Amino acid sequence: MSTSSIGDKFSRLAALRPSRKAAARESSPMDGDPGEVARFLGATLGRNRYGEHLVIRRWFPTPEPCLESNDVRRTRALKMLLPNGASESGSKHNLPPIDALANDPAQWLFLDTETTGLAGGSGTYAFLVGVAWWESGGLQVEQFFMRDFAEEHSLLLALDERLAERRVLVTFNGKSFDWPLLETRFRMTRAIAPRTPSIHLDLLHPSRQLWRPRLASVRLAELERHVLRVSPGSRLDWSRDCDVDSSQIPEIYFNFVRGGSAEPLLPVIRHNQMDLRGLAALAGHILEMIAAQQDEDFPGEVKTPDEAIDLFGMSRLLGRRGEAKLARKTCQAALTAGLPGEHDRAARRDLARLAKRAGDLGGAVEMWESLLSPRQGRSPQLKNSAEQSLALERIMTRGAIGSNSFFAEGSQLRAALEACEQLAIHFEHRARALERASQVTRHGLALVHRARTAQHVDEFSRDKAFCRKWLERLEYRLARIERKAAGMAAEHPIEQEFQRD
Amino acid sequence: MSQSLAVRAAASNSLARVHEIIDLLASHDASGEVITAVHHIPARDAQWAAAPAWMRSELTAAYSAKGIAQLYTHQAAAAEAVHGGRNVVIVTPTASGKTLCYNLPVLNAVLENADTRALYLFPTKALAQDQLAELHDLSRRLNDSFGVFTYDGDTPADARAAIREKGHIVLTNPDMLHTGILPHHTRWQRLFENLRYIVLDELHTYRGVFGSHLCNVLRRLRRIANFYGSSPQFICCSATVANPGELASRLIESDVEVLDANGAPAAEKIFVLYNPPVVNRHLGIRRSYIHETSRLAQEFLKRNLQTIVFSNSRLQTEVLLTYLQQAFPAAPGAPPDVRGYRGGYLPGERREIERGLRDGRIRGVVSTNALELGIDIGSLDATVMAGYPGTIASTWQRAGRAGRRSGSSCAVMVASSSPLDQYIVRNPEYFFGRSPEHAYVQPDNLEILVNHLKCAAFELPIAADEKFGGVELPELCDRLAEAGFLHRAGDHWHWTQQAYPADTVSLRSVTSDNFVIVDITGTPEVIGEVDFSSALTTVHPKAIYLHQGEQFHVERMDFDERKAYVKRVNADYYTDAIRYTQVRVLEIADQARLNRAADKTDGDLHAARVWGDVLVRSQVIGFKKIKFFTHENIGDGKLELPENEMHTTAFWTTLERSLIESLPYTLSERQDGMRGLLHAMRSVATLLLMCDQRDLGTAIGERPPTPGVIAGRDGWEAPPDLAEMRAGAPEKEFFEPNLYLYDAYPGGIGFSEPLFRAHSLLLAKTRELIAGCTCSKGCPSCVGPSGEGSERGKEAALTILERLGA
Repeated sequence: MSTSSIGDKFSRLAALRPSRKAAARESSPMDGDPGEVARFLGATLGRNRYGEHLVIRRWFPTPEPCLESNDVRRTRALKMLLPNGASESGSKHNLPPIDALANDPAQWLFLDTETTGLAGGSGTYAFLVGVAWWESGGLQVEQFFMRDFAEEHSLLLALDERLAERRVLVTFNGKSFDWPLLETRFRMTRAIAPRTPSIHLDLLHPSRQLWRPRLASVRLAELERHVLRVSPGSRLDWSRDCDVDSSQIPEIYFNFVRGGSAEPLLPVIRHNQMDLRGLAALAGHILEMIAAQQDEDFPGEVKTPDEAIDLFGMSRLLGRRGEAKLARKTCQAALTAGLPGEHDRAARRDLARLAKRAGDLGGAVEMWESLLSPRQGRSPQLKNSAEQSLALERIMTRGAIGSNSFFAEGSQLRAALEACEQLAIHFEHRARALERASQVTRHGLALVHRARTAQHVDEFSRDKAFCRKWLERLEYRLARIERKAAGMAAEHPIEQEFQRD
Repeated sequence: MSQSLAVRAAASNSLARVHEIIDLLASHDASGEVITAVHHIPARDAQWAAAPAWMRSELTAAYSAKGIAQLYTHQAAAAEAVHGGRNVVIVTPTASGKTLCYNLPVLNAVLENADTRALYLFPTKALAQDQLAELHDLSRRLNDSFGVFTYDGDTPADARAAIREKGHIVLTNPDMLHTGILPHHTRWQRLFENLRYIVLDELHTYRGVFGSHLCNVLRRLRRIANFYGSSPQFICCSATVANPGELASRLIESDVEVLDANGAPAAEKIFVLYNPPVVNRHLGIRRSYIHETSRLAQEFLKRNLQTIVFSNSRLQTEVLLTYLQQAFPAAPGAPPDVRGYRGGYLPGERREIERGLRDGRIRGVVSTNALELGIDIGSLDATVMAGYPGTIASTWQRAGRAGRRSGSSCAVMVASSSPLDQYIVRNPEYFFGRSPEHAYVQPDNLEILVNHLKCAAFELPIAADEKFGGVELPELCDRLAEAGFLHRAGDHWHWTQQAYPADTVSLRSVTSDNFVIVDITGTPEVIGEVDFSSALTTVHPKAIYLHQGEQFHVERMDFDERKAYVKRVNADYYTDAIRYTQVRVLEIADQARLNRAADKTDGDLHAARVWGDVLVRSQVIGFKKIKFFTHENIGDGKLELPENEMHTTAFWTTLERSLIESLPYTLSERQDGMRGLLHAMRSVATLLLMCDQRDLGTAIGERPPTPGVIAGRDGWEAPPDLAEMRAGAPEKEFFEPNLYLYDAYPGGIGFSEPLFRAHSLLLAKTRELIAGCTCSKGCPSCVGPSGEGSERGKEAALTILERLGA
């Protein structure tokens, strides 16, 4: 085959259609002075048996350490954050017990990676791995950087040494992203086994429980702004104003390895440092919030609506961690302090559940009924007024559009329907008031029917499925209740006759 | 003893009923043109062999408990070969116990060493599900000493981690291996470190585009296995094709032992080829094969023979089902006796139908190819096929759904009027003889290869001295680096994209470039997609697009967005695109003179056969509106669509001037003859290559002075004007025409070279097809629609064939 024909072939291949503009220079960054990039990035050369990589070390005075070994208050709070059953294992490998490890601030290692993509799989690399630990009253950050893919083994070995020294890994979304990705990278070496941390504390889930009610997004940068109040001049004094857009990070790295300048890497390195500082500050903040639960004067005076919502968030966190009693108390406190409409309903729903679980049926029924009560101005109501249809329609459409809100997917309707169902169960089985059971079930059915006829709903199959599911559930229940009622009537035919007259 | 007598009595009983039907049909077939063959396959006894000495006692006991105390000879031979460490391909018909051929040695190895892992690949999810039941049963009998799981798109996320660790045998499909397993191989470390066996079932389905992709997926799989220190052995199973060993060793790129001596018993079977009676001899029109299929199926069902009817499309399935349910209405309140089965039915419904067929509650089923492979529906009495399934292998598999183990059975193939069907039904010896069907793959198709190279680089950096299959990589990797996909660091090429390459590579097509069809009748809704090249002919502006029996008018075609917007209509016509295709020869790979005539008397008649690289440029220049049922041309339209260029491979026949001049016909008769000949050649080629009509394109062009030379207007002719064509402008004469058969995929899919080799067979079969057709002056079943209105097109085609030595 002649060369020209091969050239022809290649030029027509769809599979070779460039997906991006190739970098201007095609030389490798290693071609020039190998020390140049290191100097530019303020890095030193890390060397081990697999070769070289760069290490950037920086100490920050803030955030300050959030844990001391003898701080009973926070130690107790920490226990609540640990994964379930964490305290049982640990002794197997002659390691200190998990609780002791977690309580030892010297064991904590914060970790955050910058990667060549979010797709995962064996072709996604972590080109910058940042770790941090408490030191001298501040935070010591250490970042491992590979100037090229050939430096990956060396980088991973250095990281492995840090992981060996500190066995408590603290991340933000690291359980589903950073750590599995690093595990893959370690496995790809066929030489360094991934060193599973003894404890992995991922702050994403507690953060979601705490702040989803208040914030549309619980990304770390959002938490820094709205929770940690990071700003220049304050104690946490960095600024994300000139932060790099994280979706650009892979391309910045690809351009660099293809011979581009090292300059665009500086904001990436800074971004990683801020993420680590934010992560460390967040750990302290969450610990303090939980610790404050146990204080005598808790919850104290609630000054702003945000504080009330955060209390509700705290009750969610406590509920998920098996602290039902504390959760109920906190949720009640949030409700008393006054919550905006949607949150108010969500809190009542939670309270009803918590009460039911605690065996306080009276309390539960009270909450469910309050969810259906007309006094609850914004909740779906029994009366068939046009105004309420409109309100429902609004709820449904907003839910359907799937807004980023915590209360997406017609959750008001769902809360009302759940309340109906729970009340029906209560009246049918426990209170043995079939008439009332049938009444609340019919009420629920009316809500679904109204939602179904509301405009726009038909366009969204998810809502259709939602309505269909509830119709089936409630109709089935109603049929059974009425069968029962008929059965009872049959047992007391005279009574029935009498009543009809 | 008494039981076997009963079985024999039942068998002869059903045989009697089958004969009754055949006699009935024969009595209406005075000319003998309708029933073209009644092939009797006698019963065969089983040939037994002892279980291998190395077989573990608990495994022997487990099989004995299932009623398998002895092995068929081919099972024993397969087990020995696998045990001996050799790659094998087992070629046996349906229901010959082939799963045991791989399960036995694999399970034995797992029982020997609990670390052993095996990966089973099935072409579809449904087949994997079907195998799962059998393996679960064995696992239970062996005290759950091994884990077996399916891993596909339906596997719940929370079950996946356990499967990766505990699955001794993982059942999956090539698509899942490609997108779900290989790119995440680190999670499958345990499996890959211990991977000893790879089972490829239904190997013959891995041909053409799909096979070429699979070969590359296997290259990636071997690469990953090697990375974890294992080099697995392959166990392949195939239906009967002419070249199973060649196919297998091409796919796994290693030597393979072919085991094709079947030791399984078979009951008596009668195979009937049925050609619907001619209604209009002059036009070659026959009675509708759908109606005839329905009529035949009714005869079987009336005699209480459990029957499966196969059709070649979903639409036909529904039509046949309607006919049969009308003929056999269900009792009030009872489920119908005859059911439909096809993709698109819900899984629960399918399982219920499968059960109904096994226990005999359902008497008849109408199915697409969905029931052709594997799925256990027990043994039925009769198969009726509406139209030739496209390959002999498929035909036998469908026929195999009747009479799997015992009891005689019957299979009828009702031919449609397509050339393939007509050829088969008129040449029974072709069908019943040794399989002429070859399965080919072209893994080194550049488009396919490069796409998999990307996936491979994502999975594991590519070493500078590495080979992929046999392909040298440095130049390709350089190109990929230039395009921004790879970067070389040290001795390795690394993936430098955020995207996940396997996601954009479909194993079922060559490129992922396609058009999405949006129905804008009401709320915009995506109703389907077509690949780029067929989009030009099926969804051009003003086309009538047919989708699930509904008509849509194409309002607008957006080339940049790759979208076609359609509206539902009710028209009494369909559209047929007028495509103008030109071929430029880029490079000749091999050529030979065809001068049988010269050996005799006339030394001047010459022709050549050639294959090589070509550039195909096609443009849709207009379309015809054709009325339903009458097929009248009721108008046309001009279209301004972009040209589409494709680099591919072609096989062509050059008719030299001396040959052309020896033809005693007018110019237009000669042209009709050439077009008709090419049409028939394509039909026969699809038969030999086990491919679809769409896989091969045809074109006639002037033989270029030298390959690659460009003359005038960039070497291309301006397409003809539609108005002039309508006015009947005189045709341009070719001085020395090339008759091209090209691979309809960019890069070629490996058909051209085999056609070049099999040229004489191709010509001989083409002659049989045309000469054997009962029409007088050419019809769609032989020389195709181009012969329309031409008095001597068919004759001219035969004369050219004769001059070519056929």
